[in-house]
Amino acid sequence: MLRTKKWRFAILAILPTLAIFAWVRMFPIWETLRLSLHRWDILSRDKPFIGLENFRELFQDQLFLNALVNTTIIAFGVLFVTIPAALVIAALIYHRTRSRFAGFYETTVFIPHIVSLVPAAMAWKWIFDANLGPLNAVLEFFGIPGQAWLFDPVLSVICIIILCSWQALGYAVLIYLVGFKNLPHTLFEAAKLDGASGIQRFFFISVPLLRPITLYVSVVTLISGFNVYAQAFVLASDSQGAPGRLVRVLVLDMLENAFRNYRVGYAASEAVILLCIVLVLTLVQFGLLREKWNR
Amino acid sequence: MGRHTKTSMTLSAALLVGTAIGANSAAAETITVWSGFPEMVPFYEHVAASMADDHPDLEVNVEAIALREHERRIALGLTGGGQGTLVIELAGSTAQRYIENELLPAVPDDVASFVTGDGNFSEFFINTASDGGTVYGVPLFRGQGALFYNTDMFEAAGLSEPPATMADYTTYAEQLTERDADGNPIVSGWSLRLSGGGQGIAEKFWINLFQFGGSVLEQTDDGTWQAGYANEAGRNALNQYLVNLYTLDTVTPEMPADAEAFQRGQTAMFIRESWVIGDIAARAPDLNYATAPLPVGSIALPVNLYVNEADGDGADAAWAFAMAANEPENLVWLLENVGWLPNRINVDYSSVTEAVPQFSAFVDNPAGFEFFTLPAIGPIEEVLTRLAAQLEQAFADPSLADDPDAIDAFLAAAAEETNRILEREGLLAQ
Repeated sequence: MLRTKKWRFAILAILPTLAIFAWVRMFPIWETLRLSLHRWDILSRDKPFIGLENFRELFQDQLFLNALVNTTIIAFGVLFVTIPAALVIAALIYHRTRSRFAGFYETTVFIPHIVSLVPAAMAWKWIFDANLGPLNAVLEFFGIPGQAWLFDPVLSVICIIILCSWQALGYAVLIYLVGFKNLPHTLFEAAKLDGASGIQRFFFISVPLLRPITLYVSVVTLISGFNVYAQAFVLASDSQGAPGRLVRVLVLDMLENAFRNYRVGYAASEAVILLCIVLVLTLVQFGLLREKWNR
Repeated sequence: MGRHTKTSMTLSAALLVGTAIGANSAAAETITVWSGFPEMVPFYEHVAASMADDHPDLEVNVEAIALREHERRIALGLTGGGQGTLVIELAGSTAQRYIENELLPAVPDDVASFVTGDGNFSEFFINTASDGGTVYGVPLFRGQGALFYNTDMFEAAGLSEPPATMADYTTYAEQLTERDADGNPIVSGWSLRLSGGGQGIAEKFWINLFQFGGSVLEQTDDGTWQAGYANEAGRNALNQYLVNLYTLDTVTPEMPADAEAFQRGQTAMFIRESWVIGDIAARAPDLNYATAPLPVGSIALPVNLYVNEADGDGADAAWAFAMAANEPENLVWLLENVGWLPNRINVDYSSVTEAVPQFSAFVDNPAGFEFFTLPAIGPIEEVLTRLAAQLEQAFADPSLADDPDAIDAFLAAAAEETNRILEREGLLAQ
């Protein structure tokens, strides 16, 4: 009887949260799935069910395929830059915690994560500017010819990877620092007594023990990488003058289809593809890292 | 005092307060102007001020944002509703889809008479504000292209006249380009639209294509459409971009471009609309420049004012605003202070055009000068945005320069995509 009462209380207590979650999280996903199966033009009254026609069209759409390739490269690029860099920086900061500058290091690394995206992207736009940017000035100082960073098809993608990694790094370092602080000291002391060097302790103790943290950080980084939009938009936008080359990414393509071409159903089918990609990659990451962790 | 008496007094007081608030809101009418051209804000404020005597309780809020965001705002605002009374500034071609879906009402009879009667507007502008003979908007201004050129740079290059043919444009660009010691261009001879999102790249390409006798979309006799650029005109237009970029090196994608570059002396010439005249007057008043008509003709993009409500006090005030915007005094103010070309024809603009000779290229068109506009079809933005994305790829590909076969293959692929969009919408010519 008491258990039933507790059960009822638990359900009642969690119900408002579940209701809010269902409304703001599950319902939009369901609606997106529903819209993706309709010819849902934002302006027209007739919105017929067309089955998988939107998906069939998507895979013949060169802009979508471009966006898919660009987004995938950016997401994995950010992942491969951020995770190792964050791990190393967190290790350096952790092992310098006695330094009076430890707080300064942590703050410095974390600031890009909390800086508003648009002004930050504008600042990077200036850095990458082919004519006025300091990056080319530095390159030319060393005798390396300046590059058209925001216009070259390959370099413009690299610019977005750099910008996204710069922003993602602070969060990843912070989470890794929490991980480092929770590692058992005894293992490190034992390894030290056995003659393991600092680098050996990092690679053979810290890195394996931090796998759950790596799993979490990599999932979060990859998902945010696939949702890249504002960085690409700001780096290419300008009211006048020479804006940058617009790197087409999935969210940008979605927005264009929904609010410029008025094809909300078509844009929803892109969102479904994005959802599937992120879901599959997250499951794969969980599988890979958990499998190794359980060994 | 009994309980009932207290209650009834409280209710009466509440009713009085409510009535007073209601009366106040009925007296003060508020309309909001949605604009996609931030430089138009002073004009709309000027129009609002000019209405103060006749409409003392009218409050006009002007909300101007960048054009692409403005178009998104309209798509969401008109379908979602609840925006209050709006005066919406919109290109006729873009408004078509809203009209087809009954999201924009027809103008009242007196406004329709103003638009169609008294010789206020030419047939071209009446048509772009109408659908099936019904008037939906009030014409206001248009975007029309002409060449802007720096007269000091022309003089230094020994050029006394503006280019007269498209071939001249390339020759002039080569002569006007300033280079550093290594031969790299530091001042572009001819600034071209080569990058950036949206449909701007395709619109600018269409202007150049038109000079070669082509058109991005061609209408057939039965009223349907097809891509009209996978041909010799398209090849010549695209090749001109590529030759300037990669063969003659008169311009590079990363060079400063557009009006800003022109004002700073970073380009010798470029094609743009008349608003640049007002912009130069404000930002670079000492710049020595002139304008010239394009060799064959120009785009004319009419922008009209629409209202989101069919009737009511708000709608009346909004249409009154649209009419006031077309008062001669206000239109002259628009031309003089903003630079966009008013569409109303029976107004004397000579006080401005004589004082600012650069306007002559926009208003004194040579004999046989032709105009084209964007077709009023639903998918026009999609067609242009997708073509713009394709062109951006082409402009970044040096291997296409002076390779007619490669250019033809590119244009054929792009035209296929354009035709696919038209087919999906049931608009493709058979």
